[in-house]
Amino acid sequence: MNSYPPELLAQLAPVMFVAGLEGPPKAPQESETGAAQAQLDPFQILSIRLREALVSQRKVAVWQPDKSKTFQVVLVDKEVRFPPRKLVPPDDPQYTNSHSPLSPLTPSSPLYPDGLIAPIWIRKHTTLIPSVFVMFMRIFEYPPHVLRSPLEGHDSDKDRLEEERKRDSELASDIAQRKKGTNERGVKLTVVLMASRRLLDDPALDSRLTYIRRQSGLDSRAALFVLSPVSTAELHDFVRSLQQALYEPALEYYTVHSKRVRRKRNRHSQATASYPNPAVQLANPNISRPLRPEGWTVRYEYKMACFAEFRGEDEVALKHYQDAYATLTIMFGSTAILPPRTKRWAEAKVLADCINIKIVKLYLYNNEHALALSHHNTHIRQFGDFSRGWGIGEETYEFWSWIARQYRVLAEMIDQGTRSGLVIPVHQPTASSTGAAPAPRPAGLPDLDFARTLGINPSHALQHSGFYYYMAAKCTDMRRARFQAALEAENNNNPIALSPGFQNEKKVDHLSLLYTKAYELFKKYAATPALANQTTSRLTLWIATRIAETHYEAGKFDVAVRFFERIAKTYRKEGWHALLKPLLSTWYSCAQRMGDVELSIKLLIEMMGQEDLAESEEPNGLEEDLLALFQSTVPSSTEAALTFDLAGARPIFETDAVFWKAEVNVEEPAAFQLPITAPTRTVISSVPFSSLEIHISHISNPVIVRHSAEAQEESTPSTSVSRVDLGIINLEDGLQLEIAANLRWKPGSVVLFTGALVSRKPVTLSIKKVIFNIEQNSWKVQVPVEPRPPVLGSTSEPRWLRSQDPPRFIAVKRPDHATTVVKPRPHLFNVSVIHHEPGFLDEDYPIVIEVVNHDDRDLEVMADVLLQPTDIDYAINTISVNGETSTGLIKDIPFGVLAPGVHASKTLHLASGGSGGDRLLDISISANTPQSEETSGESSDEDEDEPASPVQIDKTVYQETLTVPTIAPFAVDSAVMYARTRGEWQGLASLDTFAEDYFDERKGTEALVNIKLDCTGPWGVYIENITLDATVCYTSLPPAIIIDLEGKSAPEIRIMDSSVDLPDGNLFPAEYLAGDELNLSCRVNIGVRDDGKSEEYLFPSPGRYTVSWRRILRDGSHGSLSKTTVSLPALNPPGDTLVALFDIPPTATLHVPVSMTVTIRNYHPTRSANVTVQMEPEVTDGFIVAGLRSGRVPVLLPGGEERLEWTLIPLECGYQSIPRIRILDRRKAIPGVPATTEEVPVDGSTGEPVKLIDLRRDERRLIQADGQGEEGEATIRLLESGSNFGGVLVVPS
Amino acid sequence: MMGQCDSRFSSRGHLTRTTIIIMPSTLKLNAVAFISPQNHPILIRTFSKQDENTIKYHYIAHTSLDIIEERANMTGKLGDCYLGLLYSMEDVAVYGYITPLKVKIVLALALSDAVVKDVEVIMLFKAMHMAYYSAISNPFLRLESSMDSSIDQSPHILVGSPKWKNFRKRVDEIARTLGTS
Repeated sequence: MNSYPPELLAQLAPVMFVAGLEGPPKAPQESETGAAQAQLDPFQILSIRLREALVSQRKVAVWQPDKSKTFQVVLVDKEVRFPPRKLVPPDDPQYTNSHSPLSPLTPSSPLYPDGLIAPIWIRKHTTLIPSVFVMFMRIFEYPPHVLRSPLEGHDSDKDRLEEERKRDSELASDIAQRKKGTNERGVKLTVVLMASRRLLDDPALDSRLTYIRRQSGLDSRAALFVLSPVSTAELHDFVRSLQQALYEPALEYYTVHSKRVRRKRNRHSQATASYPNPAVQLANPNISRPLRPEGWTVRYEYKMACFAEFRGEDEVALKHYQDAYATLTIMFGSTAILPPRTKRWAEAKVLADCINIKIVKLYLYNNEHALALSHHNTHIRQFGDFSRGWGIGEETYEFWSWIARQYRVLAEMIDQGTRSGLVIPVHQPTASSTGAAPAPRPAGLPDLDFARTLGINPSHALQHSGFYYYMAAKCTDMRRARFQAALEAENNNNPIALSPGFQNEKKVDHLSLLYTKAYELFKKYAATPALANQTTSRLTLWIATRIAETHYEAGKFDVAVRFFERIAKTYRKEGWHALLKPLLSTWYSCAQRMGDVELSIKLLIEMMGQEDLAESEEPNGLEEDLLALFQSTVPSSTEAALTFDLAGARPIFETDAVFWKAEVNVEEPAAFQLPITAPTRTVISSVPFSSLEIHISHISNPVIVRHSAEAQEESTPSTSVSRVDLGIINLEDGLQLEIAANLRWKPGSVVLFTGALVSRKPVTLSIKKVIFNIEQNSWKVQVPVEPRPPVLGSTSEPRWLRSQDPPRFIAVKRPDHATTVVKPRPHLFNVSVIHHEPGFLDEDYPIVIEVVNHDDRDLEVMADVLLQPTDIDYAINTISVNGETSTGLIKDIPFGVLAPGVHASKTLHLASGGSGGDRLLDISISANTPQSEETSGESSDEDEDEPASPVQIDKTVYQETLTVPTIAPFAVDSAVMYARTRGEWQGLASLDTFAEDYFDERKGTEALVNIKLDCTGPWGVYIENITLDATVCYTSLPPAIIIDLEGKSAPEIRIMDSSVDLPDGNLFPAEYLAGDELNLSCRVNIGVRDDGKSEEYLFPSPGRYTVSWRRILRDGSHGSLSKTTVSLPALNPPGDTLVALFDIPPTATLHVPVSMTVTIRNYHPTRSANVTVQMEPEVTDGFIVAGLRSGRVPVLLPGGEERLEWTLIPLECGYQSIPRIRILDRRKAIPGVPATTEEVPVDGSTGEPVKLIDLRRDERRLIQADGQGEEGEATIRLLESGSNFGGVLVVPS
Repeated sequence: MMGQCDSRFSSRGHLTRTTIIIMPSTLKLNAVAFISPQNHPILIRTFSKQDENTIKYHYIAHTSLDIIEERANMTGKLGDCYLGLLYSMEDVAVYGYITPLKVKIVLALALSDAVVKDVEVIMLFKAMHMAYYSAISNPFLRLESSMDSSIDQSPHILVGSPKWKNFRKRVDEIARTLGTS
């Protein structure tokens, strides 16, 4: 951009002259600003600030799209003079015919006679003539004096007024003078009077201002301002409002100019008809070529464009610029109008370029990227075409220099633009244009948008400035190339059409780095979030390549090399060998020039590997270069070998290690093949490889293959594959293996190393790397190559040579073909787990684990057993072995060291509690070889590190999951019967009943508990013993009862007797087989605490049977002793209120009296009972009854009983029914009149019958009734069997 | 993997060469590049006259990866395959396309002062994608490739190797069809 006159490029803005802001005398101000500032009076400070505010608001720049009505401020002297409009003074008669000093018609003008427009014209309008003139002046202020006395006031006022009037007149005349000058040019004059704040408040100020304005002839509008010293912020406000006010006049000023120019243009275009103007020709007879009408059009259009730009009317300016540009191209089209390579031609070219820039810029202001770029491209194309006509076509450096400049200017402008708001669009298709057919266009879419949806013109797509810098740099490259050609031609004394600029061109530094700028910008734009994590983007790499190449051209080889190093890394990594190849050759040239032999060697070796890219003209070239290097140079140090260490570089040879098997056992040979394939297109057959080191994992000494000439001669293989056998390599041997072989490769030939690895330890075998040693003279070069490195592009499949002549291969499809795992030999042993399911609950269930060693080695066997948790309720399961018991895991159960053939067994005991179900056991048995003395003694040093590596744990593990179904040994069924006690109750007042530990069993109930054990299991059970323990199992009680028990108010339970305790009936021990049943019964006495709550009790289980049993094993023997506990059921005796118990012996002898008793008991805790009894013997009864016929029983208090007795004499034999007895509870019959109980006649005819129970049959069961109730609930029904009266059997005497 | 490709194509209609022939086209194809998901070049084919420019298209293909990655990341998974104009430089306009399996296709079109219709470019891309797809479907490719840990990479690379001519032939045919229409 600097190559163009700045006037022609800068954004124009209205120009404002500001006068009267001269600072105080400079000397003190500049030397010590801080101190001087303090001494300055407020007005001086004000003017300094004003100057700053005005000047700093706008910088002259190319890119300035904002239209904030700011002026370009030029500080001038008050007495500044405008340049003369015309050369002659206005009073001269020639005035009307003469022209401006810059006009091509004026002979003294630089444009005379045929110039178009000169930068000086713009400069005139930007620096010499303003559109508005602002003059800052001080209004006179009478020094403020202190009134000493009121008398003085009048006089001094008068003086003051006079003085003011005088000074104001002077001021006005100054202004008038100035005004005259500005009026001539149509420039608006504005005066800003600076006054103190005091004056502002002075009422006289208005009249003074009016006076000054009248006197000076200032406009009435926006021509006179008063400003007092204010703060900087307020000052900015002032500046802004001043400009607002003056903007309109400024626009008017430029409009007037525009109109004037347009008038002239119109006049001119009318005059063109008569062109060539004879008058002009006559007036300037010497000039052969006056400015042509096209030139005038350009001139006027350009001027109008400029004035429009001054006004900020971008569209108008654009239009005029375009017109000017169009006419200019017409002019260029004809060599007659603009003869090439003349001064005017050069000027016009600059003008055209500048107008192009303006047009592009104005388009970009408006975000019309496509139009801008389109114009730019057209410009380049058009003038490119012209250039060819002018003899400066593509073959010349001028052409490229010019194009480079165009791109560079564009880039700079976009760069500036992006810094102040220009947005580079993203050219990603917005609408997801998925289908083949474009989406139907919405109706109201404008055409432009529609065009965008279809696609874009790529050459009109705005990109960031880096691209244009790149283009510029690229063109500069071309320019340099052309220049070099020209230079060469000159040196050969065969100059090709020496152009005038050639000498100049020689002075230009062609290698200045435009690429660097592009690089920076690409880097900047690449720093989007998506790519931020990448260190360098690929775009920048490309440019970096160019930079490096330029450095190379410039002879800065070291810099270039640094670039190459960095760039090569990415290209190697991503496998872009096509890009790497030219890079390497340039790099190599650099290294050569730098004399860096080592780098040269490395690069040559890398280049040898770059073989897959077609045409290398000299396949021997690299090899020869390398050999020449070896011959001609000496390494820097003779001891250390030069190692080829360019990371990621593609190796010369393609190597690949293939193991035949994925796994081998210890001491089993693992066969491998290591093919080393030479490049096919690069010849390396005379590269002096001296030896080859094959590094195998876990071997410290590499296998060395030495080159031998004999081998070379004898093995002239008919095929391209030659085989070298390395034999069996023992990892532990530690021997240095050396083999001689031919180490010269023909293009594309393969040397295949075969062998087998044997390891005594379990390891992972692989071939780590192959080092190629090149030795020649004193050079030693090491080229390490990893078998099949992860470099991309190596596409050959892994394969296994099966026949050498002709070569046949088998594809190896294993993914990890390059490694093989050496596994320890498995240990052979058998495990059998013996047990007899199902197991019984509570049983000590034996599981026998038997291990047999089938190996030929000693084995140390251990077992781990895990009992898996079950979700069965209350199941507490344990396993135990060797006295160790666990509910979960038992680890490391030793079986000891087993000699071959020996078997060992362990018995695991499983105890299952709770209820039946499956129990799961995980049994894992591991066997390893015990560390024998000989191995540890032999290689003690190796043993030390062995435990560290887990690979070394040589173990074979057998696992089994065992399911043990478990069932209960007995099915338990229980039945309970309740009966009333027979004994006599304690008297109510008996003192004993109040004792703390009194147990009134007679008041309670007697329960007969019958338990049936049913042997369900498949196994027989040998019951040794059954005992009944009367302990109450508190834990199984509901909590409420426990509290009651603690409160000592619970019923008491006593087991009276049990069938197992019968002294003579001991059945045990006895064997019970499946299906056998066994009944156990016992009697329980339930006493009642006399607390009246007995009905609410649930009586806890009174005790439990403990069954000691053994399982009857298959062989008839008995297993270990197990104990099963069978709890008695909880008791729930039915309650009673008032009951009559009837008792009579079941048999009687004829005519022998028997006694019959009825016991009336009042169980009710609180109510007394009033009971009547009536004996109702009938004639048909077989008895004579002696005793109470009808009577009233004394009132029965709660807990009281009354016993009545009759004597019966049987009269007949046989089964006789008992005489009928009616017992009535009178109290219940008349509940409403308890007071009259006494008076009720004792006829026994009223009242409710009291339940009469035959004690002989007294038996109550709680029976689960079927759900016949309304809600279908299962209810517990009481089955009372005692209410059925039995008879008496009378036998003859 | 193949199934995915398949359904994609069948659902979008037949994208065969005949489609291209029907389309009147103003495009001039200078080069096409296929780049593997791991950013390794699969095939770079140039169709311009000057052969010395081949390397330039390698550079163009490589540098396009930047913008392709950026755009693909920007749109995320929902993004379209077609990435539009990547950039224009010197005399070519570079367009990008990314297949659902992240194979990138880069077209270098000769820069002309005309609107390039997205539809046409997409057509061309789809034809290229189809060519790649049918080439990669060759079951014999797998025979050659090592079943390496870098799973499906090898066939990508292999398909572009000179040994397998079919892919080149198809691509060349597309370019020729484009040139003649």
